[in-house]
Amino acid sequence: MSVLTQPTTYTIPNPITWIKKDARHFQIVYLTAFLLFGIFKLGWEADIFKYVAIFTTGLAIQSIGIHFTTKNYTGLKSALITCLGLCLLLNATSIWIFILATVIAIGSKFLIRFKGKHLFNPANIGLVAAILITGQAWVSPGQWGSSVIFIYFLGAAALIVLLKVGRIDTSLAFLGTFSGLVFIKTVLYQGWPLDHFVHYLSNGTLLLFTFFMITDPVTTPRHSTARIIWAAVIGIITFILASEFHVNSAAPIWALIAITPFTIILNKIFKAKQFKW
Amino acid sequence: MVNIMNKIAIIFLALLVTVSPAFSFCGFYVAKAEAQLFNEQSSVIIARHDGQTVITMSNDFKGPLDEFAMVVPVPEVLTKDRIRIADQKIFDKLDAYSGPRIVEYNDPNPCQPMYALEEMSTMRFKSARNEAPAADMVEDEKDYGVQIVESYTVGEYDILILSANESNGLERWLIDNDYKIPVGAQEVLEPYIKNDMKFFVVKVNLKKAKQNGYNTLRPIQMTFQTDKFMLPIRLGMANAKGNQDLIVYSLTKKGMTEATNYKTTKIPTNKEIPEFVEARFGEFYVDLFDKTWKQDKDAVYVEYGWDLSSNNFVKCDPCVTNPPVYADLREAGIFWVDDNTQRQFRTTADYNGDVYLTRLHVRYNRSTFPQDLKFQETPNKESFQGRYVMNHPAQGDLTCDAGKNYLKDVVKRRTNELENLADLTGWNTQGEYAAYVGKYEKMIDKNYKKDNDSGTDENGFIKALPKKGAMLLIGTIANGGGSNGPGAGMFIMFYVLCLTAFSWYWIRQGKLSVV
Repeated sequence: MSVLTQPTTYTIPNPITWIKKDARHFQIVYLTAFLLFGIFKLGWEADIFKYVAIFTTGLAIQSIGIHFTTKNYTGLKSALITCLGLCLLLNATSIWIFILATVIAIGSKFLIRFKGKHLFNPANIGLVAAILITGQAWVSPGQWGSSVIFIYFLGAAALIVLLKVGRIDTSLAFLGTFSGLVFIKTVLYQGWPLDHFVHYLSNGTLLLFTFFMITDPVTTPRHSTARIIWAAVIGIITFILASEFHVNSAAPIWALIAITPFTIILNKIFKAKQFKW
Repeated sequence: MVNIMNKIAIIFLALLVTVSPAFSFCGFYVAKAEAQLFNEQSSVIIARHDGQTVITMSNDFKGPLDEFAMVVPVPEVLTKDRIRIADQKIFDKLDAYSGPRIVEYNDPNPCQPMYALEEMSTMRFKSARNEAPAADMVEDEKDYGVQIVESYTVGEYDILILSANESNGLERWLIDNDYKIPVGAQEVLEPYIKNDMKFFVVKVNLKKAKQNGYNTLRPIQMTFQTDKFMLPIRLGMANAKGNQDLIVYSLTKKGMTEATNYKTTKIPTNKEIPEFVEARFGEFYVDLFDKTWKQDKDAVYVEYGWDLSSNNFVKCDPCVTNPPVYADLREAGIFWVDDNTQRQFRTTADYNGDVYLTRLHVRYNRSTFPQDLKFQETPNKESFQGRYVMNHPAQGDLTCDAGKNYLKDVVKRRTNELENLADLTGWNTQGEYAAYVGKYEKMIDKNYKKDNDSGTDENGFIKALPKKGAMLLIGTIANGGGSNGPGAGMFIMFYVLCLTAFSWYWIRQGKLSVV
């Protein structure tokens, strides 16, 4: 009854309005859906401690960071997205590695900054650091299987998210470059049938990377031309890693970390306003 | 709100129920399912470390020896010293060691507590191999754009390493040299040629085979250096009639091997199954695999994974056979462990070094596996095995009070076991197997007819239990859709709590207000 006497701001938010309000709301909802899809439909071994460790650490570090900086707690939404990303991509032999990865991921947002914004994609640096430092972490690119329905679902969902934020250009530039090169090599040159090529693209990790990792508006270059160049270069590096160096596992993640420092240069050449949530 | 609280309470309760300890690795091994049960199957051992790769191939070829030919794309020219003949026994040994198994437990008699003796029995399934007559290989000089880079005989095999410029020429060369290449092989050969692969072409040297008295084909082992951790399966699809089963024994240093371009998933394990399955265990496992595969046709299944490192004391639990020793590991192609057979005080193994064995089962065909198998070695050292549990009810007099409860438990357990069996294999458990439960129901009736009243006895709780719908639903939620462990349910709960807390916080902050 008391609800009725509260001011309007205290009523339960309408979910649709809430989702439309901030692109991050979309991401949270969709990434959660993917995680649940993985656990229930794909039969991932849901490890409660892994998820608890990642979410608790992530939100705690973000809260501490915010407390000492902006005091604007909406940043917790970004932390939630990073945590979801880590849950979806990272595997490790010990709970401490998940905690370490999350600390590095979120910590990097506050410690490694250039001209007032963080440099590295948090989930990306968390993954790479965990793999390199401990040697006991890995990414399982095959964990999604290759169900076509799922691809459709992921693609469609991702499109909605991206159209809201206006970062579809990076996704398309990356995917276009990478798949174009793969197509030229495997289908046109080597003569593999088309389903060989389609199988490349029906990889959940690749699509997750494409639509949810390199679209982060804060760590991508500001200018749209720069973004397209940047994403295309990631596509080229990914292709080289996968096809020349036979990096079977998570090539885009290595490509992204390698290209990150060049974001600064691209931002110098192509000037544009910094994105704000 | 009350409703939601109720639901949360139910989920909590369900978690408490399902978190009860699963069977730990123990019990006695009694039967195993061997890989030879599957038709159209081949086995491969890959031992790999730092790019150095040793592949051993076993073939289930059943026709005449002169009809046998094998073409394998290899990343580099293999000289004679890189090829050797391996002992088929290594496959049998690894197969026996890592195959799915039944373990059994004997219930103690609640009326006369004592140690029960375990009965052990083993089953073996033998694969028949055919003998074969002889003929010779034809050499040809024509120019097909094919170059014979190496040519030698190892054991009973005549081996050629071919380098080809175009698939058309290679196909013609193979056909003209009496290799029975299926129609359409050209399409499959092309990508390998373009990828600068060489072709390892094998035929049986019938004279040598006869001389040595070999009636079956022994495995070929090849060693090479490559960045690519993969198995070319596409070539084998050219002549495949349907599905082919491939067992991959991957021996690595760090940990479990998984596919990177297909989903790697584990076969159902640690399930309680009825006693009578023991006699049909091979059939049981074939049907179990079949049913599992039908739900996920483009997956790679882990059947076994174990850390065989010299410092890991427990090399299997339960052990179906003795775990591999130094000689076996060497035979399987492992080159990085040190000989420790001479040491006086052997503790855990007769070798020094790290080894992890992953047994993967792939059922592939042209449409579900468009790409060759690519793998990665993960640091994951968990132990996994296909293990099915059989419980023997207590024998003897069960007419005491505790015996009554016990019989009811047995009925419940056996009902469960039948459900598991139907669930795992798709076997019809209604008809002929009904007596499996009925026998104990009758025993209850017989023993306790006098006091079998309205159900208000001390077992009222058990009697009230079959609210199956609800239990099943809860079980499913807490089990992650019936898959693995109790994590999913707890995760959802945690996640919902988190979201609720944050939503509440944001609402208080005025950030989530409705427009």
